[in-house]
Amino acid sequence: MDQIKPTNLEKNLYFNNKLQTTDTLIKLYGSIRVMREKAMPTHLNERIIKLSLPNVIGYERIAMASLASFAKMYDFAPDRIEDLKTVVAEAAINAMEHGNQGRPDAQVNIAFQYCDDAIQIIVADQGEGIKKVLPDPDIERIVSEIDPPVGFGLYLIRQLANEVEFNLEVDQGHCLRMVIKKVQA
Amino acid sequence: MKENTDIKLQQMGNATIMDIRGDITSYSESILKAAFRQTLNQDARKIILKIEKFAYINSGGIALIIQILYQVKENKQIAAIAGLSEHFKKIFDMVGITKFAKIYDTVEEALEGLKG
Repeated sequence: MDQIKPTNLEKNLYFNNKLQTTDTLIKLYGSIRVMREKAMPTHLNERIIKLSLPNVIGYERIAMASLASFAKMYDFAPDRIEDLKTVVAEAAINAMEHGNQGRPDAQVNIAFQYCDDAIQIIVADQGEGIKKVLPDPDIERIVSEIDPPVGFGLYLIRQLANEVEFNLEVDQGHCLRMVIKKVQA
Repeated sequence: MKENTDIKLQQMGNATIMDIRGDITSYSESILKAAFRQTLNQDARKIILKIEKFAYINSGGIALIIQILYQVKENKQIAAIAGLSEHFKKIFDMVGITKFAKIYDTVEEALEGLKG
């Protein structure tokens, strides 16, 4: 029996461009564990784009430009496109620096999927997942040099995305799943 | 990958404008810190960070700007930011930068705002 419990976010996952309940997805995938392993789409259609980036900081700009073009096709407003660019950039940088730990032989795999007036973004690395999510950065403590100036990337992702889920398993690694709705709730 | 950042310093009275051309990321560290050190040599009491509207600023760049603001506070200078895009005005507000440096649309408005 599968002991892995669905998270709240998994209650609204995508399959075949439609929002599905966890129960439906478990029927499709067999278990929550397999469902998580299938977070990265294996197929392509006009609503799914996949990219592979070298593990080099700076190449997140390729994902930003691609996602911006993709979102324009679905009439996302300019401010939401900027939000999308920031979340994919920060997720890719985290994957390169922390997930793949800067390894030059690693890569970052990214998928965008449009569904129900939202874009789901999957950013996968070949790392072991996020062991500890840092608390929100406290600028007063950082400017007083009590805390180091870190943690802004995940903080911005959590602020800008409508849904965020860490540590989903993918082949040879883990991914971050984010959803940005066309209209900010 | 090398960052394409260029900084020109311009003195206006007791304010120094750090005119940052290009993006601000962790790759901008050496050029940004060197430019800030120059403002200290000029004994600037007011610092205006002028950032291009289309600049890409990532979390590494945000961390650098916060480190500059720490130095500003240590040196008893005051800082303002001018020229950001609406998106990065929102981001700077989210991370709390606006608690330490007010954001203005233009350098002229920033100079006026720092007069008070």
